[in-house]
Amino acid sequence: MTALLFAGVAVGAALSAGVLTAAVFDAAVGATVARTAGGPRGVLLTPLRRAAVVAVQRRTTTERPDARAWALAPALLLGLAAVMLTVVPVAPGVAVADVPHGVVLFGAAAATVLIPVFLQGWSPNSAFPLLGGYRMFAQGLSSMIPFALVLIAAALPAESLAIGDIVASQQGLWNVVRTPLGLPVYLATAPALAFWQPFSGPAGSDLAGGVELEASGPHLLAWRCAQYGVLVGMSAVGAAVFLGGWAGPALPGPVWVVLKTLFLVFVLVVARHLVARVRMERFVVGAWVVLLPAALADVFITGWWLL
Amino acid sequence: MTSWAVDSAFAVFAVAAVVTGFLVFRTDSMVRASFWLLASFVNVGLILVLLNARFLGFSVVLMMAGEMSVMAIFMVMLMMNPAGLNPMTMVHQHRASVAAGVTAFLALAGVGIVVDFPDDPARQDPAQVTAELGVEELGDSMLVFQTAGAALLATMIGGIAVTSRRGRYGTADEGSVPPPLDPPDAESAL
Amino acid sequence: MTLDALLVVAAALVGIGVYGALSQQSFVMIMMGIELIINGALLAAVALWAYSSGGSPKGQMLGVVILTVMAVEAALGFAVMTNVYRVRKADITEKTKRLRG
Repeated sequence: MTALLFAGVAVGAALSAGVLTAAVFDAAVGATVARTAGGPRGVLLTPLRRAAVVAVQRRTTTERPDARAWALAPALLLGLAAVMLTVVPVAPGVAVADVPHGVVLFGAAAATVLIPVFLQGWSPNSAFPLLGGYRMFAQGLSSMIPFALVLIAAALPAESLAIGDIVASQQGLWNVVRTPLGLPVYLATAPALAFWQPFSGPAGSDLAGGVELEASGPHLLAWRCAQYGVLVGMSAVGAAVFLGGWAGPALPGPVWVVLKTLFLVFVLVVARHLVARVRMERFVVGAWVVLLPAALADVFITGWWLL
Repeated sequence: MTSWAVDSAFAVFAVAAVVTGFLVFRTDSMVRASFWLLASFVNVGLILVLLNARFLGFSVVLMMAGEMSVMAIFMVMLMMNPAGLNPMTMVHQHRASVAAGVTAFLALAGVGIVVDFPDDPARQDPAQVTAELGVEELGDSMLVFQTAGAALLATMIGGIAVTSRRGRYGTADEGSVPPPLDPPDAESAL
Repeated sequence: MTLDALLVVAAALVGIGVYGALSQQSFVMIMMGIELIINGALLAAVALWAYSSGGSPKGQMLGVVILTVMAVEAALGFAVMTNVYRVRKADITEKTKRLRG
């Protein structure tokens, strides 16, 4: 029982810290790209200021929404982000839930992200959020398969589906070298599953905010935190599976885990500010015609390397 | 996990699976119906995890998240009342179906309880179960695995062929006709 | 969590699925009923694997095959449903009752 409590506190703390750091990165890169001055104090306070503005917004509601599903959406997304963080190992043998099937559990959590995003789009009974929800289905279903395939290709050298074993198998050579197409395909599909710019069709500004249009107040704050949380969870597992997790020369293991996770978060945040939003037709065609064969080639290359 | 915890978790998941399965046909909102079905599948997946078939359990959750998304899309596309804003009951032969359902349940449950199945519990730990499954799939049951793969490929091709709007002779909506046997010349009306 | 309890739960899912598949008018709801039946079959198969087969991996293989069947049935069912709508403009079974030449 105390172990469960401790695990919950650990995951909660990691999630909060990750969300805050991702938001600070977002503000910093945004200020740099937009060339607005802010200074370090301004950058650190911007996410808190944005959160406060959103939190005290007036709650708007629509006509005949599906209230229960609407309330469920951010809670479910936040829960999935927490599940993603539980399978990340921070040291040899130390993880909240280093189950023997960590990769499949993580894949299931990532696939289920489609559900709360669609619910967020469906529940307000409004046109643009519904379109955003449909875009999320198209985007998510197209990117799920390459996403799972590159994770499996990374699990091949370890001969195990546990993420701790995958990290342990990278002691000599990181998976980013051994499964060369893995990290690029992962960095293309993970933000698509987290509807993160440049794949922010579901929440895009051409839909007036898409799924986030009718959300307001603490609900919107929870939703945005959950999105950052999913991003951090995907980066953490990507760092463990492709960049070697706790392996590194001078610093202790957990510090390396945090550094590599933050590196991937930084890459994704920079992509958000520098890459334009990809059109849905292009993305779907690209996912099925380019990313899926690339993921399959990744599996073949990794297998051939091992033989 | 202790046996008490496993049993109570099983009880919760089992009741939830059956109740949400029933709610699929009771709710007016069609999107809720597909997500009740997803809830039923997730509960069955969690029971499979409790049974130490963890790879199967998590795979069920993964697959069904995608499948229920597709089901929700079709619901909204084809149902006249997708949001359930008006109550409606669209059933036919209701009493016969209830009788058939109850009969099926009693027959199968009766067989399950009465028949003396061999008592040979699986004792491996979950990692070993998955390792054995992997070796089996690519070893002794390779033919089954390949057949499943071929069946899925046939499904993909068949699904696209059945629903595709473009055929060899143009789009399906336009009443396209195949070219005539003799080539068209000046007098030919085709 | 005895084998009997698991088989009763599986039988309940099959029963509800049969009720749904027979009573619903809409094609999509019929598909949901069939999915529930296969769900029950999957639970029963894995329950028997866990309690009566000594952990033989062929039982799990059966589970994988049932999962494949689920995917195939859903995909082809939706494809046929789409085509029936295109030809007959019918999304419930009542609309396909009349023979049309």
